[in-house]
Amino acid sequence: MNRLYGYAGKTLRIDLSRKEVKYEELSKELVRGYIGGRGINVRRLYNEVPPGVKPLGPENKLMIATGPVAGTGFPLGTRVNVSAKSPLTGILGDSNAGGHFGSEMKYAGIDQIILEGKSQKPVYIFITNKSVEFRDAEGIWGERISKAYEQILREIRDYRAQIAIVGPASENGVLFGGIFFNMVRPAARTGMGTVMASKNVKAIVVRGEGYVEVAKPREFEALVEEIEREVYAHDQYWPRRIMGTTRILLAGNKIGMLPGFHFTRGEVDFAFEVSGELMALKNNLKTRGCFSCIVPCSRVFAFRRSSGEGRVSEGLEYEALAGMTVRIGNRDLNKGLEAVELLNDLGMDVITTSEVISWAMELYHRGELSDNETGGLKLEWGDMESVMELIEQIAYRRGFGSLLSEGVARAAEKLGRGDEIAFHVKKLEMIQADPRALKGYGLGFAVASRGADHLRSEPFIELSDDPELGRKMFGEPEATMRLGIRGKGKLVAYYENICALVDSLEVCKNLAENMDILDYERTSKLLSSITGMSFTVEEVKDIGERIVNLERAYLVREGIRRKDDVLPKRFLKEPMPNGKSKGHVIELQQMLDEYYEIRGWDVRTGIPKEGILRKLGLEDVAEDLKRRNVELS
Amino acid sequence: MHVGVDPTRCSGCRYCELWCSYRHEGFFSPYFSRIKVVKDEVLKIDFPLTCQQCEDAPCAKVCPTAAIYIDEDAGIVKLNEELCIGCGSCVSACPYGYLSLNPNSLKPLICDLCGGSPECIKRCPTGALFLTSEVMSRDVEIDDPLGRDHAKAVIESKKFRKVWVARNE
Repeated sequence: MNRLYGYAGKTLRIDLSRKEVKYEELSKELVRGYIGGRGINVRRLYNEVPPGVKPLGPENKLMIATGPVAGTGFPLGTRVNVSAKSPLTGILGDSNAGGHFGSEMKYAGIDQIILEGKSQKPVYIFITNKSVEFRDAEGIWGERISKAYEQILREIRDYRAQIAIVGPASENGVLFGGIFFNMVRPAARTGMGTVMASKNVKAIVVRGEGYVEVAKPREFEALVEEIEREVYAHDQYWPRRIMGTTRILLAGNKIGMLPGFHFTRGEVDFAFEVSGELMALKNNLKTRGCFSCIVPCSRVFAFRRSSGEGRVSEGLEYEALAGMTVRIGNRDLNKGLEAVELLNDLGMDVITTSEVISWAMELYHRGELSDNETGGLKLEWGDMESVMELIEQIAYRRGFGSLLSEGVARAAEKLGRGDEIAFHVKKLEMIQADPRALKGYGLGFAVASRGADHLRSEPFIELSDDPELGRKMFGEPEATMRLGIRGKGKLVAYYENICALVDSLEVCKNLAENMDILDYERTSKLLSSITGMSFTVEEVKDIGERIVNLERAYLVREGIRRKDDVLPKRFLKEPMPNGKSKGHVIELQQMLDEYYEIRGWDVRTGIPKEGILRKLGLEDVAEDLKRRNVELS
Repeated sequence: MHVGVDPTRCSGCRYCELWCSYRHEGFFSPYFSRIKVVKDEVLKIDFPLTCQQCEDAPCAKVCPTAAIYIDEDAGIVKLNEELCIGCGSCVSACPYGYLSLNPNSLKPLICDLCGGSPECIKRCPTGALFLTSEVMSRDVEIDDPLGRDHAKAVIESKKFRKVWVARNE
């Protein structure tokens, strides 16, 4: 019996230049080593997209993959990972999204889609169990996400089709365009939408009619029931269901970790006015979930546009909420929601956009950016009229917005100013958390394989501020205290491995990470019951570590070294000015040393040692690096 | 009795569909489910269509082989699979747009209430499903390009939308 239970067992390779499609068998070795999603994407990317490939050239490959869990009745398990070389960072591009797309891929008989080459004319791709069609997209090229979505649906005439779309920002070459699933669930980081648009693909539509079968139904069912019970009894269940991640804003203010006014205030005096709590009271209509989710954390909400028009919208994570309120100094919730709606419709990453705008605002505030340079835009903190105009300018690369459309690192370089307050790592803009208040997160930003981002490690547990946990888990009480330093290397490495595993299962981090319900032991049971192959706990542990090391090797091959694992100077030198983390800077170098040590990477260079690569079965990667004159110690 | 729906609680996660197909077919797929969640991303609608177990059973009336019948003892509509020829007449006859065919066998997927304790109700994370004898009205706009099922979901959702709007003003 050679069948892969849980999986559809196929990679769909689409050559856009030749309009040819090919189904490839998903091999057991690939699955055992990397599971799915982020893991199989980076494995193929390492093999197929070497240094020298231009991110927006036809030789780049865009990969969308889901995991063995998607499409089964396992709760919170239907995400997709999008990977390619990033046009924004020039290194590993990688972004993850929820919704209903992953499961639909499985029902259509595929685990992974790879887009190669470039279509001559704009197309959208329509995938079913029986065929792959290239459909003319000239009529919707240039349309915003919502309009394009409606038009495609009108053509398909099937509400069960799942659609991934790029917006005008991606088409215009804004380097941080996202791919939007179910209209409001973007894989937005690192410019994956821009890569898709560069291939002249406006959308991917998937409609399946198949099913997913697990190998050991009884064991699987028992595990699901165990997890259901724990989820419903969990402390975080109701807050997450009522507010989703928007609950972080008010809580974050209390510990002084907000990115207020471009990271000049960890605490703001208007947090409640823009909080998830207030939204729950005033705006939220009902919750909405991804496919197979039992902790539905997305919300359908109503708000009023500045024009007075009432709107019903959906979603909004903390990142978007804080980005369009506290980071840019905006106290008006409605206007913040309106800005997020616009950003989503234009199809760009709200985190990066919030950085480029708040960066420009800080420069303007300091008098280092003139009205002349902004084309007359008054970039005062919280001036939402200017912000709305600037968002349009960025998306269409007009006027001052054109400077910001390539991300903050390039903007500072072109302007010749503001480099010291351009908050990015490896050219990926920082999320809505001040590392001076969350030091494990800070270390995570510095080493994350896609740049400044929390979802590579999400050491959420340091918010517990519980020394006992740290002592128990890492032998260091400070490891689980947000302002502690010692043990943070261990903490981040530990959670990086878990995140890589979870992103490869394509299960939601809310379940596996934040609620801490899917541990290694359960993961091994889950994989065994779904696939029928045995996965020991040790094997499962290795998978996450293998993926992290492979991603690091990908970065090393692109020239990344310890010198690039940095944080912007403000966080290292300027003490936090206010709030509950007042007076703190982040002691990065000490944490980095510990991190490389625990990883088995060279402390001087940040390159994985040959021993660790071999231990994880990455011999071919070690050889490849050596062939490229990378010195392995 | 049949499975009733509170659309203000439904999150559209389709967990019900998954476990319905598992209970009846042994594998997971919304396309083999006997409860059908209609979703609309533009209108933000999630509406599970369920068999209303109609007393006059239009699906049974049009069935050319009498494969669909009302089981008087159980009080529910049933399918005799051996008699079913997969013609799909019942699908067009369902006044709610609820019925669809099993993609493999081409026989209608009719709710059997799992013998009295429906899996969908047991699994629903938000308490949107329950047993009721209150039957939905049969108003359906027929010119909806996305189908009768979609049309029915929109009509039902508009009813509670009005309540929402009133609450927010």
